[in-house]
Amino acid sequence: MKYSKSLLSTWEIHHRPRIAILQRAGGGNPFNNLEKSTVLQEARTFNDTPINPRKCGQILTKLLYVINQGEAIGSLEATEAFFAMTKLFQSKDPILRRLVYLGIKEMSKIAQDVIIVTSSLMKDMTGKEEQFRGPAIRALCSITDTSMLQSIERHMKQAIVDKVPAVSSAALVSSLHLSKNSQEVVKRWVNEAQEAVNSDNIMVQYHALGLLYHIRRSDKLAVTKLVSKFSKHTLKSPYAYCLLIRIATKLIEEENAGSGTPMFDFIESCLRHKSEMVIYEAAQAIVQLKNTTAKDLAPAVSVLQLFCSSPKPTLRFAAVRTLNKVAMKHPAAVTACNLDLENLITDVNRSIATLAITTLLKTGNESSVDRLMKQISSFMSEISDEFKIVVVQAIRALCAKFPRKHNVLMTFLASMLRDEGGFEYKKEIVDCIIATIEENPEAKEAGLAHLCEFIEDCEHTVLATKILHLLGREGPRTPTPSKYIRFIYNRVILENAAVRAAAVSAIAKFGAHCEELLNSCVVLLERCQMDTDDEVRDRSTFYVNVLKQQQKALSSAYILNGLQVSVVGLERALHQYTLEPSEAPFDMKSVPLATQPLVEQKVREAPGGLGETPSKVSADKAAATRQDLYQEQLAAIPELANLGNLFKSSAPVEITESETEYYVQCIKHMFRNYIVFQFDCTNTLDDQVLERVTVDMEAGEGFEVVKQVACASLPYNKPGSTYTLMRLPEEPTSVTGTFPCTLKFVVRDCDPTTGEPDDEGYEDEYVLEDVEVTVADHVQKVLKANFAASWEEVGPENELEDTYALATVNTLEDAIKNITQYLGLQPCERSDKVPEGKSSHTLYLSGIFRGGHDALVRAKLALDSSGVTMQLTVRSTDPSVSEILATAIA
Amino acid sequence: MGFFDTLAQWLGVKKREVNVLVVGLDNSGKSTIINHFKPNDAKNHDIVPTVGFNVERFKSKSLAFTAFDMSGQGRYRNLWEHYYRECHGIIFVIDSSDKLRMVVAKDELDALLQHPDLKNRRIPILFFANKMDLRESVSSVKCSSLMGLENLRDKPWHICASNAVTGEGLSEGVDWLTDQIKDLIVSRKK
Repeated sequence: MKYSKSLLSTWEIHHRPRIAILQRAGGGNPFNNLEKSTVLQEARTFNDTPINPRKCGQILTKLLYVINQGEAIGSLEATEAFFAMTKLFQSKDPILRRLVYLGIKEMSKIAQDVIIVTSSLMKDMTGKEEQFRGPAIRALCSITDTSMLQSIERHMKQAIVDKVPAVSSAALVSSLHLSKNSQEVVKRWVNEAQEAVNSDNIMVQYHALGLLYHIRRSDKLAVTKLVSKFSKHTLKSPYAYCLLIRIATKLIEEENAGSGTPMFDFIESCLRHKSEMVIYEAAQAIVQLKNTTAKDLAPAVSVLQLFCSSPKPTLRFAAVRTLNKVAMKHPAAVTACNLDLENLITDVNRSIATLAITTLLKTGNESSVDRLMKQISSFMSEISDEFKIVVVQAIRALCAKFPRKHNVLMTFLASMLRDEGGFEYKKEIVDCIIATIEENPEAKEAGLAHLCEFIEDCEHTVLATKILHLLGREGPRTPTPSKYIRFIYNRVILENAAVRAAAVSAIAKFGAHCEELLNSCVVLLERCQMDTDDEVRDRSTFYVNVLKQQQKALSSAYILNGLQVSVVGLERALHQYTLEPSEAPFDMKSVPLATQPLVEQKVREAPGGLGETPSKVSADKAAATRQDLYQEQLAAIPELANLGNLFKSSAPVEITESETEYYVQCIKHMFRNYIVFQFDCTNTLDDQVLERVTVDMEAGEGFEVVKQVACASLPYNKPGSTYTLMRLPEEPTSVTGTFPCTLKFVVRDCDPTTGEPDDEGYEDEYVLEDVEVTVADHVQKVLKANFAASWEEVGPENELEDTYALATVNTLEDAIKNITQYLGLQPCERSDKVPEGKSSHTLYLSGIFRGGHDALVRAKLALDSSGVTMQLTVRSTDPSVSEILATAIA
Repeated sequence: MGFFDTLAQWLGVKKREVNVLVVGLDNSGKSTIINHFKPNDAKNHDIVPTVGFNVERFKSKSLAFTAFDMSGQGRYRNLWEHYYRECHGIIFVIDSSDKLRMVVAKDELDALLQHPDLKNRRIPILFFANKMDLRESVSSVKCSSLMGLENLRDKPWHICASNAVTGEGLSEGVDWLTDQIKDLIVSRKK
């Protein structure tokens, strides 16, 4: 794409005088307000004979402009215009011809029968007119598909090694594009690309290296060879060097290697290259590597430091941007540059200044915060949204680092919220404030007040609903909840339906939580029942009815804590229910629970990993539906189909070392009365095929192995699964156990040359590590947003209380970690975070026990000289569950 | 067309430009015929099957021709019609040694004549019965009867036997086409 740009710019040069004249005449952009249909109409002029190159050039330019503005052109119209354009091949006018090439490229994907120009382009590509040859190659490759590629292959090979650099470059880059769809054909051009790498022209060398890498990309060994070969003999092109550095970095990342490898040495040696571009690329690569020591970093950082005082703004920008990105990862290294960064604060280029300040904020100490904030607020209005976001991210990091500074920072964020800005920017600020509120209870009141002010004039529905939800959750628990009601009710009067619905939910939460506000809230909600929108009316009617019951349990279950089921699971369960109608009412407990806490525990990444954020989000989504996937997988196995709904699947546990002959992982799937052990086995011996693979488990203590599902065949390096079904003991309180396991199978040795297995096999077995079933396996984490309400809802009926001395742990954090791990419950209301310097703490845990019983735990912890003392209180809807949980710690 | 162009043409310095369409089945010799008209230094030595079309220019005694050399391969023949409207003459090349596919050529010709862009125009059509040097080739008379040219009454046509490799018969045909197109232009001016 880069090259079509360079072409476009030549085209622009041809046309710029004309545009400039028009602009001076006050006409502005002559292509403004172009109508697609008019332009297509005008394109018929191409059919005239003789051709008027000037006029046709103008029309074609308009057509290109319209296409580039994103106008959708129908296939029929495009084909007509395309064929009209093909007639312009009559003209020898160079500008017109090059515009035609552009036109072909733009329309190659929308018009039909574009291959009509193949021969014409081939003629130009091999012709004498040099300035036609490169563009013709590019246009030709854009209209050629895999089936047609054979016919131009010979010409492409020739063009790659052509002595004219522009032609060679064009052919190389086009080959790169072609290889997306025709990998196999392009692979055959490797010799030509090899030859082109030796070219004297820096662009050709770069493009040739790019193509070579692309062809060998999937073969790691070949790539390693490629890098080591070219890192020795000197390349001319700095671009090629940069590419080589990137390839080397990727290799290091893939192998998870650190310094000391030849790849790293190569990158390190590039720090002494004579081209600034290469030096920067190398430095940037080194600081972004994962496994680096302070010693490895030092030369790279000193290079960046040098760039910081360069007279070239681009170098300063590049250096400070890189430092900014790695500030959180290597604070010590970046601190070394502090003096240079201080000098950049007053840089005339605002982008450089912003990055310098935010870098300093990230690495600086508490005392410098005030000064830097003052400095940055002086030019906040001059920088673009993109950099404002950088500033906000820096502040977010600061809030976490210096909780005591929240006053300064909150005020600053509030003033930024008041300023103009796009959605991304505002979202970042709101996220930052919300994060601060959750981390730091002292900042809560101020933060909520700022957010209330913000939603008074907020054009973004998403943000408004998000804030209303937060107000509903946090507002009722503040000392003066009543002051928030006004802000929320204003939304009901002024906003669109989505925001109104969110506001209604928020008011209901105030009503449910604060008894003194109940009556007023009911009055407000009753007014909302007249709303024009269905959703708002439905919500308010529902809430009014629940609130009027005045029952704690109801309010807690239906207003404060909501449904905790997986949406996919709920959909499937309801669908199943409608397919097989029965007299029995739908049982909510049969729906699998949402595996929500995963999202909750997501740690915000350092800004250095901006590019990775989307992949992480998708990973979370995958995790949320993991259980649904297992449910489907298990249901597909006839022996295991009738066990009911899957309650919980544990994370995979390795029960062999990862380097052994057979690698086995175990996943425990918990059902109401059964456990299914899923063993994922991998055979790492290439001279064996395993058959009829099962895992024998020695059951005991009331557990009973019911069935085994064998894995029929386990060839080399193809994972397979075998299952063992076990019935849980009748006695409700015996839930834990340890089971020795043995892998049993029939081995068939393979012929080492052909890989064909022998006909005869023999039985063998392999001892695995024990599989343990713990209390945590029986418990599903569920987050109760309002723990106190749930605590009251369950009531003291099955309450058990005991006091323990935890001698082995020395800090509250460790105690909390251990307790959470043993019980497998979800910490609520951020009680898993201990404020600094406190010697006592209360941990709230909640979850659901197998069978659908609510389980709540309150652990009061106190730190003293001998260790941690804990008073554990368990409440549950089932007495045996309370007993199990209370004894789990002991 | 500017004043100077008109003047130059009137004085006979600049030749009038016309478009001709070169069609026919694949491997009938279209590109070779066009290649023959090109000046010696621009000649192409290896002719490969055309994909799509090629634009070539050549001159006869009083006209400058722009020839659209179309691809004759089966799947590209439906693309000919995009170029019917703007042409002043058609050159239809027949491989006179390929009796088997003469019917295919006839089908293509009939489709061409029936096309709305050409149906009502008195457009001159020049037929080359090419490859006359080959032993199994048929005479131009036989060729015209096989193509059913006697039924073609509403358009001026001419058939001549040719050998594109040596150039025999080509200039005779193009001279006829030149005269026809000039007549047409003159009659249109009146």
